[in-house]
Amino acid sequence: MRVAVVGKGGSGKTTTSAVVARTLARHGASVVALDCDSNPNLGLSLGVGDFETERLESMRESLDEGGEEHAPGWDDLIERFGSDAPDGVRLAVVSRIDNPSPG
Amino acid sequence: MRLAFVGKGGVGKSAIAGTFCRVLARQGHPVLAIDSDPLPGLAYSLGLAISDAPLPDEAVEERAEGEDGPRYRLRTGLTAGDAVDRYAVTAPDGVRFLQFGKHRSQTGRGLFRSQFAFRQITRELPEDRWNIIGDLPGGTRQPFTGWGNFARTILIVVEPTAKSLLTARRLSRLALDEEHPRRVLAVANKVREDGDVEMVADRTGLEVIGIVPWDEALAEAEQKMAAPIDMAPDSPAVKAVESLVEQLSEERIA
Repeated sequence: MRVAVVGKGGSGKTTTSAVVARTLARHGASVVALDCDSNPNLGLSLGVGDFETERLESMRESLDEGGEEHAPGWDDLIERFGSDAPDGVRLAVVSRIDNPSPG
Repeated sequence: MRLAFVGKGGVGKSAIAGTFCRVLARQGHPVLAIDSDPLPGLAYSLGLAISDAPLPDEAVEERAEGEDGPRYRLRTGLTAGDAVDRYAVTAPDGVRFLQFGKHRSQTGRGLFRSQFAFRQITRELPEDRWNIIGDLPGGTRQPFTGWGNFARTILIVVEPTAKSLLTARRLSRLALDEEHPRRVLAVANKVREDGDVEMVADRTGLEVIGIVPWDEALAEAEQKMAAPIDMAPDSPAVKAVESLVEQLSEERIA
């Protein structure tokens, strides 16, 4: 199953995604939750906490800044830019985070 | 006053920004409200039934050969003030309204062209005359990619939820990180209980300049696509925005 959740800001995309991911995991599915939002908050809704959510974001940012090397494949990417969330969900932040250019 | 509202999607930027513009205009100040959010919102909270107020193609032309500056600009002879007079939609209380980036009316090249003209307007509109209030896109990706730069004061609208607080921290980092000198302040919205405002201050590290209580009237206005200031002029949230206007006017910081 491959599901993408979209919608207006504040309409509940992140919350819905997290509940769907954890519910599927509780039913025995192996679930990877990908945060593709440039404002990545999925970790908060999955329950990994503030600190870990910000850690994943800075991991993702350091990739742009050359502090991290690109993962060669999906498994690596999820391993390196991911974190274990409750119910066995694996969360990874894969969003494009733009550092705005001045001007 | 040159002010931009930013924040996580759904925190209430448009409702507060629209009400803010109307209050300021009622005090006799000329106000240009600009919406750079591709979704409607500001228009409704200003009390306009429309959501499209683009600059027409005819307002923009390509820079002449040998002329310095960006590739497109307002057409020769048309000043920023003229463009607002001519093309901005007039909302209740005399607020003028321009919207950038509504894809229904403008796509591709037209949108690209008008982007230059919009920026030119925010840059060149005489400061001693016009107040510019911007409702910027939600989230963290777009607000400061050129659009936020007209603002001297950035108001980050924050509701007391973990996601909104985290978003506010990111926004404040982005806003303060740039070379543009500006002040970044928080407006706490949907405040329900003791401790909410303190939490916003603590977790964002920002000064909280406005406190807007949780108010069903705002949700109802949004549902009806009406301006909060028309539908519920005496509601606690509208009163709180009035205080915010007063606060910023007094401080003369914006």
